[in-house]
Amino acid sequence: MTETVTLHIDGVSYEVPAGMNLVDAARVYAGVEIPVFCYHPKLEPVGMCRMCLVDIGFEMRDRESGELLLNEDGTPQIRWGRKLETACTTTVRAGMHVRTMTEPVQEARKDVLEFLLSSHPLDCPICDKGGECPLQSLTMRHGPATSRMVLEDKMHLAKHVPLGDLIYLDRERCIQCARCIRFQDEIVGDDVLAFHERGRRLQIVTISDPPFDTYFSGNTTDICPVGALTTADFRFGARPWELQDVPSICPHCPVGCNIVASTRLDRDAGGVKVIKRILPRQNEAVNEIWICDKGRFGHHHSLSPDRLAAPLIRKNGELVEASWDEAIQAAAEGLQAAGKNVGVIAGPMLSNEDLWGLRELAEGLGSKRLGLWPASLGDAKPLDEVGVASGTNFAALGKGDAVLVIATDLEEEAPIWYLRVKQAADRGAALIVANTRTTKLDHYAAQTLRFAVGGAADVLNGLTAAAIGQKWIAEDLIESRVSGFGDLQKALKNVSGGDEDAAEVLARAENLVIVAGNDGLDAEGHTALLQAAANFLIVTGHVGRAHNGLLPVWPGANTQGALDLGYESADTRRMLSRTPRALLVAGADIAADPAGAKALQKADFVVCMTLFPDATAEAADVVLPIQSTTERDGTFTNAERRVQRFYTAHGPLGESLSAWEAAALLGQHFGLPAPRYNPALVMKAIAAAVKPYADISFPALTAAEVQMPPIGEAKGFYGGTARPPIGGTGIQLPARSEGRGKLHVKPVDAPGAFEVGEDELLVVPVRRLYDRTPEFASSKLMHDRIPQPFVALNEADAARLGVASGDTVEVSADGAAVTVTAVVDDYAPQGVAFLPLRLSADPFPMIPVTGTVTRVAEALPVGD
Amino acid sequence: MLKDKYPDRIEAIFAKYPDKRSAVMPLLYLAQEEYGYITPEAYREIGEMIGVDPTQVQSIAGFYTMFREEPKGKYWIQVCTDLPCALRGADEFYQALLEELNVEDGGTTEDGLFTVEQVMCLAACDKAPMLQCNFHYHENLDMDIMRELIAEWRAKAQAEADTDDTAEEA
Repeated sequence: MTETVTLHIDGVSYEVPAGMNLVDAARVYAGVEIPVFCYHPKLEPVGMCRMCLVDIGFEMRDRESGELLLNEDGTPQIRWGRKLETACTTTVRAGMHVRTMTEPVQEARKDVLEFLLSSHPLDCPICDKGGECPLQSLTMRHGPATSRMVLEDKMHLAKHVPLGDLIYLDRERCIQCARCIRFQDEIVGDDVLAFHERGRRLQIVTISDPPFDTYFSGNTTDICPVGALTTADFRFGARPWELQDVPSICPHCPVGCNIVASTRLDRDAGGVKVIKRILPRQNEAVNEIWICDKGRFGHHHSLSPDRLAAPLIRKNGELVEASWDEAIQAAAEGLQAAGKNVGVIAGPMLSNEDLWGLRELAEGLGSKRLGLWPASLGDAKPLDEVGVASGTNFAALGKGDAVLVIATDLEEEAPIWYLRVKQAADRGAALIVANTRTTKLDHYAAQTLRFAVGGAADVLNGLTAAAIGQKWIAEDLIESRVSGFGDLQKALKNVSGGDEDAAEVLARAENLVIVAGNDGLDAEGHTALLQAAANFLIVTGHVGRAHNGLLPVWPGANTQGALDLGYESADTRRMLSRTPRALLVAGADIAADPAGAKALQKADFVVCMTLFPDATAEAADVVLPIQSTTERDGTFTNAERRVQRFYTAHGPLGESLSAWEAAALLGQHFGLPAPRYNPALVMKAIAAAVKPYADISFPALTAAEVQMPPIGEAKGFYGGTARPPIGGTGIQLPARSEGRGKLHVKPVDAPGAFEVGEDELLVVPVRRLYDRTPEFASSKLMHDRIPQPFVALNEADAARLGVASGDTVEVSADGAAVTVTAVVDDYAPQGVAFLPLRLSADPFPMIPVTGTVTRVAEALPVGD
Repeated sequence: MLKDKYPDRIEAIFAKYPDKRSAVMPLLYLAQEEYGYITPEAYREIGEMIGVDPTQVQSIAGFYTMFREEPKGKYWIQVCTDLPCALRGADEFYQALLEELNVEDGGTTEDGLFTVEQVMCLAACDKAPMLQCNFHYHENLDMDIMRELIAEWRAKAQAEADTDDTAEEA
């Protein structure tokens, strides 16, 4: 337990943790709201706005005896401060007395507000923030009704200043609290915002290049205590009081950020309910109060006019619209013809209920082939044992702890983890980043390790060998619970070259989380990496307790759920090489990979369930329109194995159905029961059949953990427009290592780095946050932020190939080719070409392959 | 580029500080001396030299009134009109100066020679009316002295322009 002290606020005593910020302590423990503008619980206090002035005093003691000096009535004598003090820069101490409602305090608040409003435009009736604005609310509560300022002396400043493509600044509304500046500086580590001038002319500026366009820019509009910062997506879009906040889960990456979709019936959309904006929903264990711009602005796919609104069936070679009855009939006939020779390939944006429905259908058809997309993922079994233990929270990591980030560019693949890992490093946790190339996280790393593309597992084998060699191991644990240690020790005996400094930091850390992606790995390399990481964690005793274990950077929001429900990437690979007669592809654009496209051709019959009429749909015989996350209820399991629930925010587009419903409609033709009444009942079936999910149910998922500090509460006075944890904060499934069973280590047969001939290039696909998949690119306002298709080449390779930066080149491998722009720098190692995935529409292999890069056109001269 | 033109001076500035970013103020003065005001390009140059985002460099320049952020006259005349100076007639003096040069408050003369503006205390209250021109103080002024000064500055500017012309012709 942390040490507590007695704090007296307005004559009442409270026990509060020692060293807590006075504003937080008053709010959380006493329910006393000390008004703030510049103070934010997630940022360092600066005491700039003076709104939190209070009267602070201390109990007096006799200097000689140390006894408390008492008044006649027995109460302690208190020496009050001569002036009011800012509560936000004060930490609570024993014997502290605070008065928050005295006349001088109220007078001070009134004066501060009078000053702040002296040049404020008071355009609340047209301001996005009006109705949920701390300035407005605190003025109502504490402010003067009139102003002594002369109207002619009002400052007039620019009102529509774009700070980047997505965020607009209204300089007149700004009250110079510097929350946005401090967010960029402290939380993101990209100080592109600053103050300019001073006094009444003080204003926010940026001249950085690129300007204010970090992946986190939208968060500044949440924490802005006035309407100065607004998003290009929402500004002038709706009034806050018209909006209904529906809890949801971001479908874009494995972090599983808790969000709300603010919806209303919209005239411009024809009177239907639409999402006007996405806001973060506080979950301190997952995303705190932050979300990335992909999550915030990438919601437009849910009601995109490009979406598929009705089923399609192939008639005379053409896909034509059909009713659900016709489509299901056609699909059933096609599947019937294939007999048991049927397989399912499912994508990671489907909910657990969808995946279960599809599995029931496959089993009803007599098939056990449940493939997970993409096909490049390794064997995830070690994660059942060593996945991060329940209660793991990056926010708890600091001095004495360590994080290893390997084979992933976290900023691109899981932005909120990037923020949280960076902050753990800021707090003193030892961060080690191991990649094939420089990533932004390197900047915060205590040490960076480099490996050749494909060689990720070797790095971990080296670290394990070093840890064993130096006896930085958990001997008790190994003796009592670990099986296979002898074999591992033997196999690693001749492994050398492991970085001993890194091994020591990681092995001897109090807590260790390994964040492992699959950047530049094929399935074999990924399998090896996960097992090698598991070995290190088990051998060094970093499993089975909170803040320890392996965190996989999956490619999708529900990859973990799919794995839990029996889907495997290996099954997909088998189906790509030996394609079943009929394929049911759901939520996966497998035509983006040449192997997938080939399988679509080989299969006699293809049923495709999809949001968009993509290339996979074009190759299908029956296409069924399914629903996005915001159109129905369901659950995702994030990469930390936290099962989280999302809710229906708006009506379904066209005739689309949930994938589980569509699967059940199909199943009826094969003797399976009628579709369940709702997804909660599907989850009930999952809980009954899948052991880790035994305690999961829709009602159980509505429970919310207490959020501290409660930023989303109090209508945003305190921390902005992040929402409270309505709808539940999810339930984390325990890892097997949390029980008492055996832990398994085993020698890893690491495939090593890819071999590249002297005149060859290894084309390595990399994931970028912003890509051209329709799920993201339907958000039109993000188009300028999506990079043009490019390939990154090393200078030496470019010189050899006669390619210069800006040239148009054709990258080809395995019979596939894409035309992209060359970017030449020292980013790519020699012999490697990095090709971001899904920036162009043409299919390309999703694993490293040897290929060629040829120039097709010279760069256009710059400046014309 | 400052870096290419004044490598020695920049080296000498850096030598004075334990940390490169501490050199931001002298570098801003150098940029102002070179370009006449601190150009957007100069923020980038300095930012790059000291490893700081250009926005932060601009923020520093914006805070101090000694740095010009837009082109100004060759002679940058700052007249203190704070209370003690005003009590010694600084306001009337300032108005007379504006009329003499035929400019608006804060404006620049058509020939681009003079920018005239009011500033806060320059710490010479006892010698008011006073002004600062290109960081040099002129104190205990009246319009007679002022006219002489203006004539002097004009002549100096003319002389410089003539030398430039000759240099160009040659």
